[in-house]
Amino acid sequence: MSVVDAPASPPRAPAPRKAAPRGLKRALGLVAILGPGLIAANAGNDAGGILTYASAGAQFGYRTLFLMVLITVALIVVQEMCSRLGAYTGEGLGALIREQFPLRSGATAMTLLFVANAGLTVSEFAGVGASMEIFGVSRYIAVPIALAGVWSVTVFGNYSRAERVFLVMGLVFLAYPVAAILGHPGAGVVLRNLAWPHFVASKAFLLLSVALIGTTITPYMQFYLTAAVVDKGVTPQSYRAQRIDTINGSIFSDLISIFIIIATAAAIGGTGALSSAAEAASALRPVAGESAEQLFAVGLLGASLLAATVVPLSTAYAISETAGVERSLSRKLREAPFFYGLFTAQVVIGALIALLPGNAVELVVNAQVLNGFITPILLTYILILANRRSVLGDAANGRRFRVLATVCVAVVGALSAVVLIQTVAGWL
Amino acid sequence: MISLAALVGTDVQDSTGDSVGTLRDVVVHWTTATAYPAVTAIVVRTGKQEVVIGARWVELSAPATVRLRSSAAYARAVERHAAEVALAHDVLDRQVIDVGGSELMRPADVYLASVHDRVELVGIEVGPRALLRRLGPKRLRSRVRPERVIDWAHIRSFSIARDQGGSARGRRSGLAGKAGAGLELDAPASELRPLPAIDVEAALEASQKRKRRGNKNERG
Repeated sequence: MSVVDAPASPPRAPAPRKAAPRGLKRALGLVAILGPGLIAANAGNDAGGILTYASAGAQFGYRTLFLMVLITVALIVVQEMCSRLGAYTGEGLGALIREQFPLRSGATAMTLLFVANAGLTVSEFAGVGASMEIFGVSRYIAVPIALAGVWSVTVFGNYSRAERVFLVMGLVFLAYPVAAILGHPGAGVVLRNLAWPHFVASKAFLLLSVALIGTTITPYMQFYLTAAVVDKGVTPQSYRAQRIDTINGSIFSDLISIFIIIATAAAIGGTGALSSAAEAASALRPVAGESAEQLFAVGLLGASLLAATVVPLSTAYAISETAGVERSLSRKLREAPFFYGLFTAQVVIGALIALLPGNAVELVVNAQVLNGFITPILLTYILILANRRSVLGDAANGRRFRVLATVCVAVVGALSAVVLIQTVAGWL
Repeated sequence: MISLAALVGTDVQDSTGDSVGTLRDVVVHWTTATAYPAVTAIVVRTGKQEVVIGARWVELSAPATVRLRSSAAYARAVERHAAEVALAHDVLDRQVIDVGGSELMRPADVYLASVHDRVELVGIEVGPRALLRRLGPKRLRSRVRPERVIDWAHIRSFSIARDQGGSARGRRSGLAGKAGAGLELDAPASELRPLPAIDVEAALEASQKRKRRGNKNERG
């Protein structure tokens, strides 16, 4: 399932002494039911996520499952810190970074976020291309149409209605758990791989591990969650409920990811890297039979279009927040030029790179690797913020939590560093 | 006009030219009675600790020089007192909203000016160029070109993004330094006439003129 969701007008965070606009709450609809924690975590299951998890299943069978368990722990730790920051300070991560770090460090963080999200946007447009290729439409036609559609719907049109259509299309991925069970994966193997590491000492495995981290713990999710918690008006008093939502959301979203890996591994495990989206679709065959490809394509298209809108919006929102300028879809193009400028830049860059010749699936996975490199850096900012008593007071990380969070960030960072060094060494 | 952004991080020297430490913050005393609060102290980092040095020991000059008036100065421990605002910590880079709740650019600089024998807070910079100036190379940082300056007299008080009932009441500087606290203007941003900041002298002169006018009004 891909419930990537941004508020119809992205979370208008700290509007002092103003209750969250009512229209916004209504437009959020699903957010009200599902809660920001669940939505944010499920953002990991976008086009990039689905293709990366499918790649993991195809290439290494069940061997990445234990890694997913570890990633889930790290995801919970990170998401909990973010929702706590939002609830206790009433400010988004962009604002906190501007206030709490030297300007240059803050600018570095926001640049990295822009790059990471540009990479994600590339993978979303590549996802559009890959899914339309299943229907026999060239991506050189599909991607430009998607770009024009996404841009004009967001800037001029009724974004929230489009968002709902995309969301419903993305529900296709709820078929994965069913497919995983119908695919008779062998419960023993799956459980053994979940409980005990079966790592492969190869460069490809390391690279895919970083991609899995990058797509599951996406910086964009952290910025989104903090803003959404602020927007929902969660206070320190009502934080307990939010905490439960955040933890449940992380677990649920990673369960879906794990099912994608299991279903793909059961269907085409060990056949090597994915070469096309159609191949990934074969994992849904136990559910959909011959129409698996079409079903998968519809889901992938919905997830891709949704994230192709939400990710650039989230970037524009976070960076505008750091600058302190107006940021809302309820503003006219001329009233918020910086906000819309960032959004436009991101979708155009994303679509153009997605049009470069080559294998779309490979491009998508590479974008997740890029995210995997940037994630630990941005996580460090979040960790520092959540450690500071001057920011969170008594809600700052306690000693034990601090150790756990530091270990999570350090392990993610070390893994990225190893892959980076290997890659650079490979060029020399 | 003195630029706070350029001032922060500069070397603080005593009257003999010896380095005392680096400047971390500038403290003003802000009450309802003062439209342009005066600098009362600076925060200096010497070695590993931060100390506060009273304004009477300190000479601030444009665009960004700080010197002690003697070779010895009385320094006290850092402690927040009522009505005190630490400009780099509480004002620089914080949120600014107008009376209607819409946001201005976060101030990338805070301007001070020598008026008579004291240094006063004049305004905040909400233009984008100051941001680029601070991101650029260090030696260009003292090239202060005011762009869009909001007169400090238009700042009503500190306010917090999510007001939980009455916390913002009381002293206008009461929320200074709190997480999530920003500045609130007393008018819509569109109605504010930015300080006429064509060049440094003109801006300074304008602020002094306005001050004189203000004094006259008070007497009348």
